[in-house]
Amino acid sequence: MKILIVDDFSTMRRIIKNLLRDLGFTNTDEADDGNTALPMLKSGKYDFLVTDWNMPGMSGFELLEAVRADDALKSLPVLMVTAEAKRDQIVAAAQAGVNGYVVKPFTAAVLKEKIEKIFERIQS
Amino acid sequence: MAFDADEEILQDFLVEAGEILEKLSEQLVDLERNPDDGELLNAIFRGFHTVKGGAGFLQLDALVGCCHSAENVFDTLRNRKRRVTSELMDVVLEALDNVNLMFDQVRNQEDPTPAAPELIQALDALAEPEVEGESAAEVEAEPESVVAEEAPEPEQPAAENGDITDDEFEQLLDALQGKDAPAATPEPATGGGADEISDDEFESLLDDLHGKGKHSGGAPASKPATESSAPAAGGDEISDDEFESLLDELHGKGQFKAAAAEPEASAAGSNDDLISDDEFESLLDDLHGKGKKPEAPKPAPKAAKPAPEKKAEPAKKVEPAKQPAAPAARGDEPDAKTAPAAAGETTVRVDTKRLDDIMNMVGELVLVRNRLQRLGGASEDEHMQKAVSNLDVVTTDLQSAVMQTRMQPIKKVFGRFPRVVRDLARNLKKEINLVMHGEDTDLDKNLVEALSDPLVHLVRNSVDHGIELPDVREKAGKPRTGLVTLSAEQEGDHILLVIEDDGAGMDPNVLRRKAVEKGLFEQDVADRLTETECFNLIFAPGFSTKEQISDVSGRGVGMDVVKTKIGQLNGMINIESSMGKGSRIVIKVPLTLAIMPTLMIMLGDQSFALPLVNVVEIFHLDLTKKNIVDGRECIVVRDKVFPLFYIKKWLVHGASSEPETTESHVVIVAMGTKRVGFVVDQLVGQEEVVIKPLGRMLNGTPGMSGATITGDGRIALILDVPSLLQHYG
Repeated sequence: MKILIVDDFSTMRRIIKNLLRDLGFTNTDEADDGNTALPMLKSGKYDFLVTDWNMPGMSGFELLEAVRADDALKSLPVLMVTAEAKRDQIVAAAQAGVNGYVVKPFTAAVLKEKIEKIFERIQS
Repeated sequence: MAFDADEEILQDFLVEAGEILEKLSEQLVDLERNPDDGELLNAIFRGFHTVKGGAGFLQLDALVGCCHSAENVFDTLRNRKRRVTSELMDVVLEALDNVNLMFDQVRNQEDPTPAAPELIQALDALAEPEVEGESAAEVEAEPESVVAEEAPEPEQPAAENGDITDDEFEQLLDALQGKDAPAATPEPATGGGADEISDDEFESLLDDLHGKGKHSGGAPASKPATESSAPAAGGDEISDDEFESLLDELHGKGQFKAAAAEPEASAAGSNDDLISDDEFESLLDDLHGKGKKPEAPKPAPKAAKPAPEKKAEPAKKVEPAKQPAAPAARGDEPDAKTAPAAAGETTVRVDTKRLDDIMNMVGELVLVRNRLQRLGGASEDEHMQKAVSNLDVVTTDLQSAVMQTRMQPIKKVFGRFPRVVRDLARNLKKEINLVMHGEDTDLDKNLVEALSDPLVHLVRNSVDHGIELPDVREKAGKPRTGLVTLSAEQEGDHILLVIEDDGAGMDPNVLRRKAVEKGLFEQDVADRLTETECFNLIFAPGFSTKEQISDVSGRGVGMDVVKTKIGQLNGMINIESSMGKGSRIVIKVPLTLAIMPTLMIMLGDQSFALPLVNVVEIFHLDLTKKNIVDGRECIVVRDKVFPLFYIKKWLVHGASSEPETTESHVVIVAMGTKRVGFVVDQLVGQEEVVIKPLGRMLNGTPGMSGATITGDGRIALILDVPSLLQHYG
């Protein structure tokens, strides 16, 4: 499974990348915000998108909207990483088509659970 | 413990977050000048936010706490709920200092000490919207004072929950009880025995249940009077369960009515705004319809609409916080200066040690090139010469390319100054504007670091001694606000740094008097000093003792240390000043430290290298034309008198007994404003040399800064003009 990690903070990308690697997902790429991620997504055949919410340039939410608005990408599973599980944010993200969210900081186990849930739902 | 985390990631975090913190200190000072800059507020908010996020993963809880509180302040600020004031800035800057402190601790493998509770409290208080008008005052201002997080508008809950019914309240309690603090229930319950619960009771109940600081969001729960769905939007955070059900709801196809009810009910389960996993699941179910493909986009959004509406409605009323949140997120977009694209993809972090090694090797290569050039020049072989000149081109390119990798913008040093000036000006009650030019000028990393302290000292001096107090300035007919200008530019293979102020300037006579008082000069000598020489007096050791003692930061760098330091970098420093108009300090340093252009000279059969920075001119001299002044040999060149030194007598063994020649070459060298002539036997020419430190035995030999290998394969000593003169002259 090819995964794109989007975060403006490279340490965070690395952390997420390591966690994913611990879960056996080794095919990952990184982008530092929505603006760089979107072209990559369009050309890269990614199976999964993990994006931070709060980023300069194009935020995770805008990226999500852009992904859902793109015919080729609209069914791409998106996991949103947020600092707080603010209801309004999550509700907005859900309405915009997010598949899951995870609150920082999280462990590999939590991440795994979130990812599994997303695929459960997609497959059901 | 903080160090279970992957050490490598920790190091990465320290570097990257360190950069963010550096930027933050600049941005914060900027902010004070442009308090309404929305982009800036967003950027600062994001800075703290990012550091917090990273620290969270590394279990640096103390760091998380402080950043979180600071972040909240900026969330309030960027939502225009409060205005930037100097007092606020003081607190925020203190917080940043604290964060930096913790950073250092983490760097030293210590556990960071949490910030003082007073500081956190102060921050939290500032995270509150300014209690000015609106509904806040009209309903109940008091309970808000303690509210800490995610409560941009705590007055709202107060306004809404005036009449909560017992049923609702029971429900709410049940929900809360399940979650947080069962013990707390009975008391407030009885307290709210009447049909109407008071705001205070409700607030304190929430406090009890959630612990202070988190309660704010809980209040809105009560608003939507009779509908049980109401408590849904309790706090600010959403639980997983809530989220699930929200998704269910949003994607639910035909049966959204039922679905709508579901999330609400489940939402009621948790009365704060944190969405739970279950909620999220059911939310997803609703959005997508269980088992239905996420396709069928048409009905889905339609169906979804009413559902969220219902939910959103109370939420909106209850929580204005949501509103600003979305625009804020959107506001992020324009403010980004399209960060260097895909940084993660195109850059590599390299240990500077490695760069130093590469630089060293390139240095060796330059030496070999020089040697080959010499040999090639001597040989008749045309092919050989071609190859050598090719090698020359490639080596030069390589050298400049490697140098480029070590270059850093001077911004790294300049970035500290807004803060330095701001703090100092506030301390001294001065009004000062700092203007910086040429922050993007690149220079060698080692230089950037080496220049940092001297520059800080000079800037502090300008602020402390240069700029006058506002009242004094006004009397002198100047604007109250003083101006300090800091600029950097590249000039050939040198960097020119200028620190300029429009302050009082220096009085040469005062300096003369001081010099005599300190016993540096006799009165008559002092009287003869030119103005420039007077200004340069401040670099004399012991001249600026006062500063060394009063240096607030305890760095203890006197002006003489500044001068020495610049000298070590093969640089020059110069002062111009005019009374009442201000002073101007010019520093000239080479772009890099590793390779130095020199003038090769011969004394007897030994080669020496004179740094080209010091060389002013060379000429052929008829030594019979020299004059003797004050018992010293001098020459007159274009009406200027230069003392003449026979360095051969100093440096070459047995040379002092040689008979004097009548003709010789003279090199005029300069150090600061002082110029002298050196008599040399032979001028070889200009050569770029790689500086090799002298061995331990020879280290510190006066007059020598190092050694190098010349083009003809011999060793040449590199002369250090100031120390040479100091020792022999």
